[in-house]
Amino acid sequence: MNDNRNAWRNFNKGVWCDDINVSNFIKMNYTAYDGDSSFLEGPTERTKKEMSRVHELLVAENEKGGVLNVDTSKVITILSHPAGYVIDKDTDIIVGLQTDEPLKRGVSPFAGIRSSVQACNAYGYEMSDKIKDEFTYRTTHNTGVFRAYTETMKKARHAGILTGLPDAYARGRIIGDYRRIALYGMDFLIEKKKYDKDKLGEKEFLDDETIHLLEDLAKQIEFMYQLKELALLYGYDISKPAVNAFEAIQWLYFGYLGAVKEQNGAANSIGRIAEFMDIYIERDLKENTLTEQKAQELIDDLVIKLRLVRHLRTPEYNDLFAGDPVWVTLALAGVTNEGKHMVSKTSYRVLNTLYNLGSSAEPNITVLWSERLPENFKKFCAKVSIDTDSIQYENDDLMRRMYGDDYAIACCVSAMKMGKQMQFFGARCNLAKILLMTLNGGRDEIAGDQIAPEGVAFGDEVLDFDKVYTEYKNYLKWLAKLYVNTMNIIHYMHDKYAYERLMMSLHDTDVERLMAFGVSGFSVAVDSLSAIKYAKVYPVRDERGLITDFEIKGNFPKYGNDDDRVDLIGKDLIEYFYRELCKTPAYRGAKHTLSILTITSNVMYGRKTGSTPDGRKAGEPFAPGANPMHGRDAEGALASLNSVAKLDYACCRDGISNTFSITPDALGKNEDDRIVHLVTMLDGYFLQDAHHLNVNVLNREKLVAAMNDPTLYPSLTIRVSGYAVNFNKLTRDKQEEVIARTFHHAM
Amino acid sequence: MADIHSFESFAALDGEGIRYAVFFTGCPLRCVYCHNPDTWHKSGNDMTAEEVFNKVRRFKPYFRNGGGVTFSGGEPLLNSEFINGIYPMLKSENIGYCVDTSGSVALTDDVRQAVDNADMIILDIKFCDSEKYKKFTGGDIEKPLTLGKYCSGKGKRLVLRTVVVPGINDTEDEIEKYAKYVIENGLIFEKYELLAFHTMGFFKYENLGIENPLADTPALEPSRLDELQKHLDKTLKVIGG
Repeated sequence: MNDNRNAWRNFNKGVWCDDINVSNFIKMNYTAYDGDSSFLEGPTERTKKEMSRVHELLVAENEKGGVLNVDTSKVITILSHPAGYVIDKDTDIIVGLQTDEPLKRGVSPFAGIRSSVQACNAYGYEMSDKIKDEFTYRTTHNTGVFRAYTETMKKARHAGILTGLPDAYARGRIIGDYRRIALYGMDFLIEKKKYDKDKLGEKEFLDDETIHLLEDLAKQIEFMYQLKELALLYGYDISKPAVNAFEAIQWLYFGYLGAVKEQNGAANSIGRIAEFMDIYIERDLKENTLTEQKAQELIDDLVIKLRLVRHLRTPEYNDLFAGDPVWVTLALAGVTNEGKHMVSKTSYRVLNTLYNLGSSAEPNITVLWSERLPENFKKFCAKVSIDTDSIQYENDDLMRRMYGDDYAIACCVSAMKMGKQMQFFGARCNLAKILLMTLNGGRDEIAGDQIAPEGVAFGDEVLDFDKVYTEYKNYLKWLAKLYVNTMNIIHYMHDKYAYERLMMSLHDTDVERLMAFGVSGFSVAVDSLSAIKYAKVYPVRDERGLITDFEIKGNFPKYGNDDDRVDLIGKDLIEYFYRELCKTPAYRGAKHTLSILTITSNVMYGRKTGSTPDGRKAGEPFAPGANPMHGRDAEGALASLNSVAKLDYACCRDGISNTFSITPDALGKNEDDRIVHLVTMLDGYFLQDAHHLNVNVLNREKLVAAMNDPTLYPSLTIRVSGYAVNFNKLTRDKQEEVIARTFHHAM
Repeated sequence: MADIHSFESFAALDGEGIRYAVFFTGCPLRCVYCHNPDTWHKSGNDMTAEEVFNKVRRFKPYFRNGGGVTFSGGEPLLNSEFINGIYPMLKSENIGYCVDTSGSVALTDDVRQAVDNADMIILDIKFCDSEKYKKFTGGDIEKPLTLGKYCSGKGKRLVLRTVVVPGINDTEDEIEKYAKYVIENGLIFEKYELLAFHTMGFFKYENLGIENPLADTPALEPSRLDELQKHLDKTLKVIGG
C-alpha cells in the first residue's frame, strides 16, 4: 500500500495500515470534542438552494400520494441508471442518486416478483413486460420460501402469530462498512477478498458451507467491480483511498448508494460514520483546505442525499412499516473500550443538519448514550430532541459490553459490529395471540382454525394463573421451534436468491451472523397474566365455544408502574422465550437474538388479535415495542421507564424499544430546565441498564391538529418505535394510535 | 402510617431537579380554586414510611442535579410525624426532600422537625388579607405567616407561591399587595412564583359530585401570568431593595 502515502498523510499509523481495521484507525486518529455547539455554522446559500429544490420535490411526492415517479422499464441494479442529480453536476456536492432523477423509484423484484407488481399497481404504474419476462423463469426469494414452507408455517403466518416476516420482501438490517472504501480504496478491498477466496479454496475438504461461501465471495467481488463503475459514471475513481474530507464522504456515500441500488431491504442503515468523517474534516481544517462552513456544507449535502433514498413498497409492507422509512440509521458518539468518549465536532455537525435542513425522519440519528459523554454534548442532544423530536438514544454503556466500541445500529435498535457482524432479520411473533391460542387449545380465536397442537381445555371457571402460565409456556415452546425453523428457511432462500452482494463485500469474510427474533404484544401479554394472577378473570365464550372475551373482577397491577408483582412476570416471560428459541439451531451457525420492538405493526397485530384478559378489546392496537399499554402507566414517566428498564438486555440483544412522549410543560418550566431534566432522565434511565428511548417532547393537541389538517405542520416529525416518521405520512389509524399513547403531562 | 393519594414519579415543576412527588390526603383548607379536591378526604390507601421509601429509592438514579422527593397533597405537614419517620431512611440514601405546603398547620414540634430537615419549603401565600383568606380558603392567615417567619428565622430555603385567579387577584394592584405583605412581614425567600389558575382539575369536581365554586372562571392566560410575574419581581425589587 505504498501509494497510500498521500491519502494517509498526517494520520497516526497503527495496525489499521496493514489490514482492514477501521476501528483502530478511528481510535488512533479522532479528536474528542468537549466544547459546546457555538462553533456550528448555518446552511450556505448553495445548501439553501438545494434544499428548496428538495422541498419542491417532497411536496410533489406528497401530492402524488407518496410516490413521485417509478421507473418500470427496467430492474434497478448498481449500474442500471445513468447519473442523476438533485440540481446538476456543478451544484450537487455529494453526488449520486438511485435512479436518474431524485425520488424516482426503481423496481427491484429479487425478493419477490409478485409484490413488485403489486407495488407498481398500488401507485398506478404497470410493470413493463420486459421485467416480467426476465423474471418468468427466474426464482425469487419469495418463491423459494413458499416452496419450502410447511403447512404449519403457512397457517401460523396466515393467522398472524408469525407476521411481517421477510419472506416477500428483502430482509435488510445489514450494514456495509462503507468507511472501508474511503480509508482503503476499492482495489485493496477487492484484492483482500480475492485473497480470502483463494485461501478458502485451499481447504482439505470443501463442505457445503465452504462452497456456499466461495460462491458468496465471487458474487461480492463481481459487485465490488460494479461499484467502481458506478463511481466512474459520476466521474470519480474510487480505486484508491480518499485524499480529503470531500472524497472520504463521497467514497463512503458511493458504497451506501450502491447498496441501496442493489437492495431494497427493509432497513438499510449507514452505520457509525460521524467520527470517521471527522478525522478527514479535522485534517483538512488543519491544512486550511476547508472551513467550518464548508465542512458543515459537506455534511448537510450528504444528509440531503440520504433523505432522498426511496424504495418501492406494497401497501401491506406500509402497514408494517408505516411512513415510508428507509432507516438510514446513523449512530454516533459513544465511548471507547478504554473509556474515552467519542464525541467529535462532526457528531455535532450531523445533529446540526436538523436545524440547517429542518427536522426529518431520515437519517435515523441514534445517539449512543453513555454516562461519560461530555455534559455539553448531552445538553445539545436534549435540545435537539426538544426542538425536533427526531433523534433516539441507545445505551452505549450496555451495548459496548457485548459489541465493543465499533458497533452501529441497524434499523431501530439492532446493534452489530461494523463489518464483522450481520443479521438475519426475523420480524416478530405475537405473544398476546399465543396466549389466546393457549386458552383455546391451539385454535385461532378469530378464524377458529386449529393452528397449534391441541392442548388442555379451560372451563368456564375463573382462570388459574399457574395452569394458564404452564400451558402458555408449552405453546411458547412450540412456537419457538416453529419460528426458528421458519427463519431458517427464509434466510436460506434469501442467501440463495437475493444475497446482498455489495453490502456483504464490505464485511469481513468470516462474518459473525445473528438471527434476530422478535415479539409483539408484550405489555398486553404481561398485563393479561397479571390480571389472571391478581384479579379474577372469567372466560366468555362465543357460539363456537371459543373464548373470545373476558370478565375481569377486581384490580391488578399493571406493567409500567415500577411494580415488581407484574414487571417480573414480563421479565420471566421474555427470558423463557429466549431460552426456548436458542434450543433450535439457527441457519449458518447464527447466534439467536431477540427484540421487543414492533415498529408500527402494533396496530396491525392488534387488529389481528381478539380481546385479551387485560381488558383490551378485540382489534384494539397493542402498545408499541416494550412500552406499557396506553394510559396504564399511572405513576408517571419515571415509573414507566423503570418498569421497562427491568427487562434484561442479555436476552434481548436485538433491542428493547421504548417510545416516550412528554409535553414541554411537564418537562420543565423553561428551556434550560427542560434540557437539564431530559439529560438527567436519560442518565437515570440508562444507569439502570435500560436499552433504548425514543423521545418526543410535544403536545397531543398539536398532533390532533396535524391529523385534521396536514398542511398545518408539513414537516412534523415524531418518533414512533425505533424510528422517526413524518406524521403526515402515517395512515389515520396509526395517527390515532400515536395520539392515544400516554403523554406524560404536568398536573 | 399515612394515607397516600398517589405518586408522580416525574414532577419537574415543584422544587429543584427531577422530583418524586408523594401526595398525601387530607387538607384543613377548602380553597375555592383547589385543583386537587380528590385529596381532601382519605383514600383508604394506608402506607408505612418504609413502603413509601421503598418506592422512592427506586428513583435515586434520577435525583442528580438537585432532585429528590417532594411531599405534597393535600397538606403534607399534617403528616409531619410520617415525614420525620421516613427522613432517616431518605438520609441514609442521601435523598433530600422538599415540602409543598399551604402552611395552614399549627407549628408543633413535629412540624418544626419536618421543616428543619427539609431541603426547601414551598409555601403558598394564598391571600394577603385575613378576610379574603378566610373567605376563599376557610383558613386563618396567621398560620402560614408563622410558618414563613419560622423558615426565615431558621435560614431555611423558602420559595413562595401564589395562584393567580381571574376576577379574584389578577390585577397589578393586588399583586403589589402580596409583595408588600411578604416584605413587611420579614419573610426571607429565594423566589416568589405566581402560578396560573387552570381548569384541568374541573373534571375532579364532577367526578366527586361536589360543587365547583369557580366553574365559570376561565384559566389565566400565560401571557397575563408573565406580565404579573414581571410586575411582582419589579415591585419586590423596589420595596425589598
